[in-house]
Amino acid sequence: MGAEHAVTVRGRGPLAIRPAVALVLVLAGAWSVWALELAPSALWPGREGLVLAGEFFGRALSPSLTREGVDIPAGTPPLLLTALRAAALTVAFAAAAMLPSVIGGLLLGLGASSAWWSADRDRGRSGRVTWTSRVRVAVGPAVSACCRLLAAALRSVHELLWAVLFLAALGITPLAAVAAIALPYAGTLAKVFGEMIDEAPRPAAGALRELGAAPVVVLAFGLLPRALPDMTAYALYRFECGLRSAAVLGFFGFPTLGYYIAASFENLYYGEVWTYLYVLLALVAAVDWWSGRVRERLVA
Amino acid sequence: MSDRARDIDTLYRQRPRSRFLRGSGWLAAGLVAAGWLGGGFLGDPGWTPRRAENLTRFLGEVVPYPLQGEPWDWTVAVGWAREIWNERLAAATLETLAISVLAILLAGMLGGLLAPWATRSFARPDPFVPDPRPAGPARRAAWNLLVVVVRVVLALLRAIPEYVWAFLLLALFGPTAWPLVLALALHNAGILGKLTADMVENLERSTLAALRGLGAGRGAVALAGIVPLSMNRFLLYLFYRWETCVREATVLGMLGMVSLGYWIRDARARNHYDEMVLAMLCGATLVIVGDLVSAMLRELVRRA
Repeated sequence: MGAEHAVTVRGRGPLAIRPAVALVLVLAGAWSVWALELAPSALWPGREGLVLAGEFFGRALSPSLTREGVDIPAGTPPLLLTALRAAALTVAFAAAAMLPSVIGGLLLGLGASSAWWSADRDRGRSGRVTWTSRVRVAVGPAVSACCRLLAAALRSVHELLWAVLFLAALGITPLAAVAAIALPYAGTLAKVFGEMIDEAPRPAAGALRELGAAPVVVLAFGLLPRALPDMTAYALYRFECGLRSAAVLGFFGFPTLGYYIAASFENLYYGEVWTYLYVLLALVAAVDWWSGRVRERLVA
Repeated sequence: MSDRARDIDTLYRQRPRSRFLRGSGWLAAGLVAAGWLGGGFLGDPGWTPRRAENLTRFLGEVVPYPLQGEPWDWTVAVGWAREIWNERLAAATLETLAISVLAILLAGMLGGLLAPWATRSFARPDPFVPDPRPAGPARRAAWNLLVVVVRVVLALLRAIPEYVWAFLLLALFGPTAWPLVLALALHNAGILGKLTADMVENLERSTLAALRGLGAGRGAVALAGIVPLSMNRFLLYLFYRWETCVREATVLGMLGMVSLGYWIRDARARNHYDEMVLAMLCGATLVIVGDLVSAMLRELVRRA
């Protein structure tokens, strides 16, 4: 009690309301405004911008249910059908990309975690040192570092930049979109999975190991079950992000929702833009709700 | 059956089960299967001569321009990269950083301002301490409505991807850095606002109730209670979201404005893939440095 009290008195309250931290944040903001040569006056959109904003946001409550425009070629599918198809393809891209991302993330994440070698290192004195455990202790730290580095490299390149690379190297194909999402997502999942496996409680794994269980068994029945709820919840969150990424890939020519948002906006069919936006919103909200319920049951 | 086998059997039967989770598992598997079958990925022609040719051409053009068709020479390659870096990429990298910093600060302000009104324990007629004379149904309904409206606005802000926001705002503001900054700020304000509101709802009530019980108004409870109690965690969220801002700031420039993305698009349009990849490497380095800085800052906050 006494020690706790002393700490509270000595600490000067939360970091964020200390003048020095506030000053740093203000200076950072001032530097960015200066570096970008931003005039606050440019925030006033001007007459044309205002008219456009009025027209665009004026349609927010009246999205189109049928196609806008005068000469609609015969055989054009109805707007809502196009929207549904684009939504289905957005989901398909995101869901398909989750498979390689989760597999890659699991493998890289396991490699990046210290769970498969740190126990061998800490237990040198207990006597049961086999040559495999010696190998694990010897290569473990290096392998983990390599896996972490690879994961960092994968996720440091944005999915849209991967898409640009694949488009330049291979041309437009749906598989390029899946790969573009899957590569950085595997990197992100590897980082988070690795941390979750490392932070999962270890007693069960230790007990299994003392009983002489093989490392694979320790991993599968001692470590992974403790980390799995968090990992599942996070994978679902990444699926929600994947939906947004898949939609945005439409701006690069894939026929997902972003493709139609861009096309309708450039044709000044603002009602259609809102239709597509609301469909995207519904998708994201549905997955958000789903992952929230799953998280409640798994993590709580 | 031995006793132990029966015990194990009983334990197995009594394991926690949830129909919802099982259904969710099947749904997830079904979505992945349907995605692979219905997305047209399996009909991919695979490795065609045209693609091989495309790839060879691309790989040839990724080589720095002065070295194309020449033997590799590090001094030439470094000299080429340094020239482009000095000429435009250095400035663009700094601009990308500035966009992310300004965006996360604005997002923090907007999210922080909206969060209290999305907090159910705060936005109600009697925050933290039950009123002996309960408020009328009209006032309670008005506060409830406010919370719902603010939460829907936050959901709307974060459901629309940054890229779409930037695309829409570009038409509004023209080609300055503002559309990029505001796009990142709006999307992240939605995320930070929701995270902060949820966090404030889970704060320990006793301090806030004590302040309220002493007669503090809503503003005083917020400034003297909620802000100090929640600020460190708010900073953690802020730095965590800043990492994603750095990542996105590069990409948003591809809409044709400042930042590294502008030069990526420019090089792509000119088919100068060597410059394109160089700009991407600058972006990737910035992201990795940003991740490290953010991890350090978060560690600093955690210790404070």
